[in-house]
Amino acid sequence: MANEALALSGIDAYYGDSHVLHDVTWSLGEARLLGLLGRNGAGKTTCMNVTMGVARPRRGAVTLFGQNIAGRAPEDIAARGIALVPQGRRVFRSLSVHENLLVAARKPEAGGKHAPWGFQTVYAAFPRLKERRHHLAGHLSGGEQQMLAIGRALMANPRVLLMDEPSEGLAPRIVAEVMATIRRLKEQGLSIVLVEQNAKLVFDIADDIVILNSGQVAVAGTAAGLRDSGIDLHQYLGIY
Amino acid sequence: MAPLRAITPGVSMWTILAINSVTFGGLLFLLSAGFSLIFGLMRVPNLTHGSMFMLGGYIGSTAIVTWHLPFWLAAALAAAAVAVFGGVVERLLLRRLAGSVLAQVLVTLGIAFMVSDFCLMVWGGDPISIDTPSALSGGTRTLGVYFPTYRIAIILIAVVIAALLWALLERTRLGAMIRAGVDDPEMARVVGIRVSRLFTVVFCLGAALAGFGGIMGAPILSVYPGLDFAMLPLALVVVILGGTGSLIGSLVGSIVIGFIYNFGLVLLPQLAYFILFLPMVVVLVLRPQGLFGRAAP
Repeated sequence: MANEALALSGIDAYYGDSHVLHDVTWSLGEARLLGLLGRNGAGKTTCMNVTMGVARPRRGAVTLFGQNIAGRAPEDIAARGIALVPQGRRVFRSLSVHENLLVAARKPEAGGKHAPWGFQTVYAAFPRLKERRHHLAGHLSGGEQQMLAIGRALMANPRVLLMDEPSEGLAPRIVAEVMATIRRLKEQGLSIVLVEQNAKLVFDIADDIVILNSGQVAVAGTAAGLRDSGIDLHQYLGIY
Repeated sequence: MAPLRAITPGVSMWTILAINSVTFGGLLFLLSAGFSLIFGLMRVPNLTHGSMFMLGGYIGSTAIVTWHLPFWLAAALAAAAVAVFGGVVERLLLRRLAGSVLAQVLVTLGIAFMVSDFCLMVWGGDPISIDTPSALSGGTRTLGVYFPTYRIAIILIAVVIAALLWALLERTRLGAMIRAGVDDPEMARVVGIRVSRLFTVVFCLGAALAGFGGIMGAPILSVYPGLDFAMLPLALVVVILGGTGSLIGSLVGSIVIGFIYNFGLVLLPQLAYFILFLPMVVVLVLRPQGLFGRAAP
């Protein structure tokens, strides 16, 4: 396996008194795509929140390229080259499309592998955003908002990209478009964590799979290995 | 307040009243723009805003009268000093009370009383009057109407500051970041925006404007104990009338209140306050978000 880009090790996290992550450990290899699966409430989004510093783990370490970032502020974590496409998209609704990209822009680190992201490259990847760049983000369709949320994350020129249910609430045609985008990003060498409820989507695209169940890692392995193993994944994923 | 200067024969009282009204509106804009930004963006009802206006007046006047600084340098100093005061209040106190409006109201009101006492202790009970800056003293007579230069200058300065503030918020990256921080503070931090620092900047900016308004108003209003609580309700009325967080609302609201206040004082002095608050009540009933405010989300 390639070098580790992001690793959670021994993470315990709580919301108030409820224990939502139990000793969760997984890692994302550089330039790989990790599919993080599990039912509603399994702890997938909490993993994202812990990684970005929005939620504080009570125990455990989050390492980004070898540095522990657990407990740091979200803005400091963002500055270290990690970006989130959050669940529910959460674009800045009262800002224009262009401003949504502008506020997230960050210069790439020196010696980055692929062409840096900026307005030109993001607009080239999502022509629809360019057409609507002066519209308020709150007025976009769900698919367009998802494009914007991805574009906004890319503007930071991250080395690690977290995507929390990017297919949620989108029409199948748009989902296919989003998945094609993710595949392209992966080919460009970005390390990606893709959180999904829809296992089929993830197995098509992921290198590695982690399945969470009730806040614990239930299954972890390569996508190909799990496919061939014959383990009944449905017990962890609900019905698909 | 805003006393009528001697009425030159042949000059209509109405014209003078109108000029005074717009001038007072300009001062009210300097006062209320910051109040509106702080309340509209950060949801902090900053009841020290009148105190900031008065502090600016006192500090600026002292710089001019005691330290013999030129007017504009003194004005800059007053604005900077009040900005620092605002920053300290925001960082040390209000920051800890985020989201708790009642606590913010009580704390800022308490600080306002403390500032009142502090000023009384330092500057005493007598009003301090300063001269208009010499370059802007006098006036011009056009078409039989006398335009006092300083009052016209206040109006222009208010308009220029309104334009600059608008440009800052709507046309710069910093402004977009501030608005993103208002839209979704948590997500703004996740994309790397230092929201808490930006909010301190907004607070200091609002404080600086109020302090600047205080020294700009000093040649007209003079500075005296009680100026703080004379100005605070005016800021509230302006912002309720114009709508919180709306710069154009602050500008229009300020001028409307400037007119109502001045004309009310002259025509119906017994009812001046009644007339002042009447439009506020009407707006609150008919259009609670204010003339230019956005409906609450």
